[in-house]
Amino acid sequence: MLIQENLYLTRSAPDGEGGQQFLYKVNQYGVSAISRPQEEIAQIHWDVEVIKYRETEAVKFDVCHDTELAEKPLVFHNDSSLNEFLKKAFGYFKELGFLEGMITNDKET
Amino acid sequence: MSTPTAEVKRKNTGKHTNVPGKPEGWVPAGDLQEVVTLEKMLTLPRETIFMTGSEAARESIRRANVDMAIAYPITPQSETMQQAGYLYDEGYIKDYYRGEEEIGSMSAISGASRAGVRSLTATSGPGLMRGMEAISSWPGARTPLVLLDMCRVINTPLAIQPDNIEISFLLETGMLVMHAENQQDFYDYPLIAFIVSEEVDVTLPCTVSVDGFFVTHARGNVSIVDKKYKIPPRDGWRNAVPSMDNENPPARLSRDAPIQKSNFISYHMHASWQQEVFAAVERSAKYFDKYLGGLIEVVNPGSDEMLIASGAAVSQAREAVRQEGEKGNKIGLIKVKTIRPWPGPQIIEAAKHAKKIFVPEFNQAGWLHKNVTTTLYGHCQAKIYNGPRVFGGMTMPTELILDWLKESRERKE
Repeated sequence: MLIQENLYLTRSAPDGEGGQQFLYKVNQYGVSAISRPQEEIAQIHWDVEVIKYRETEAVKFDVCHDTELAEKPLVFHNDSSLNEFLKKAFGYFKELGFLEGMITNDKET
Repeated sequence: MSTPTAEVKRKNTGKHTNVPGKPEGWVPAGDLQEVVTLEKMLTLPRETIFMTGSEAARESIRRANVDMAIAYPITPQSETMQQAGYLYDEGYIKDYYRGEEEIGSMSAISGASRAGVRSLTATSGPGLMRGMEAISSWPGARTPLVLLDMCRVINTPLAIQPDNIEISFLLETGMLVMHAENQQDFYDYPLIAFIVSEEVDVTLPCTVSVDGFFVTHARGNVSIVDKKYKIPPRDGWRNAVPSMDNENPPARLSRDAPIQKSNFISYHMHASWQQEVFAAVERSAKYFDKYLGGLIEVVNPGSDEMLIASGAAVSQAREAVRQEGEKGNKIGLIKVKTIRPWPGPQIIEAAKHAKKIFVPEFNQAGWLHKNVTTTLYGHCQAKIYNGPRVFGGMTMPTELILDWLKESRERKE
């Protein structure tokens, strides 16, 4: 099982190709993890993207390859390795949110 | 209801001391389970596990007290019945073999059911079509059993992708037909199917259909009870018609004489027999209603715009409802859990105020749309849209449903 902390939404993958999408959110950043159907159980894996939310209320986001976490789509073959990545990402997003807040404050002053 | 488990353990420890291929003293795991009623099974504490639909079916079968399983492999069903093979090895299923092909498998499982044991089979698309001659004889023969049907394309050009047109071939056979939305349903529905199928005033086969790959080969959250529990065994003598007595040969190979006397049968007899079969389908509704918490699920009741869906299309419809909700639009959703018995009165009640109804489906024929329009004709003023539909293994993005909603609004329909 994936960790439940910062889990924003669980839904049927909206592209209709089957599987479940788990969306995590910390400040404006987050992680999308999709587990899709595969011919063999052993082939089932997580397709993961670091994302940046466009709006606070609605679930609208863009894939974000500008962070230090990932510059491309990621693949995880089991829950535990993805959970490790999620924990690392949550800490990073909190720090990023803090730094981006400082930049915004500087511009305003 | 519970069995004296310790006594059963002692009794069976002696009984299974010399099982070929098993260590001495091996006890089938099923003999160590505690029997609980289905009502209790559905309310026991559960643990949530992220698993495939095939694995969810395995966990359901593990708790279903199955006596006999017979199946012939076909994609995407094979994965599930491979899992069932592990259960046979562990002793959760009492007997299991691979049939020669689907006509043989579907005929053989009918024989098992006629003999009074809890019977399970499974197939997909073309396999269902091949077994159809035998399958269509099950309801008239009053054979309670469960068929797990993992839907896939049946028509040319051949494909193994998900498409549920095969359900349309089951609708008028006299079978009970459930349509599972997701992995959770594919765990819960087979347990319910066995018990309802074996009710004495039902005594009919039940199909649990599911959209192949999207559910069977993908993982989802499934809440399951401890594997130490199982539902009560089938009482082979509690049927609408007598079981065969295989322990006192020569066994009667036919049911009551009128059923299988071929050209000697009176058409009156045939007609009244068929009427009773379809009356039994209707009688099953009260049991499904009890165990499923309603034959339908309604989201946002009273909405002007409603989606009516079954199977995996429900999941896509749920996301469409959620996304419209983000925009401040309230869209209703009716999930149809049982296709037979058809929940006509419930759908009329839930949709009578609607102004627009959309029926998303994963098949070309639009069998759900046909059933919905027939039901609502004269009971509802809504415009019922003939779709959206995808087939042949096409995907149904949420945007497709949202586009249909948007276009209907732009046309001011």
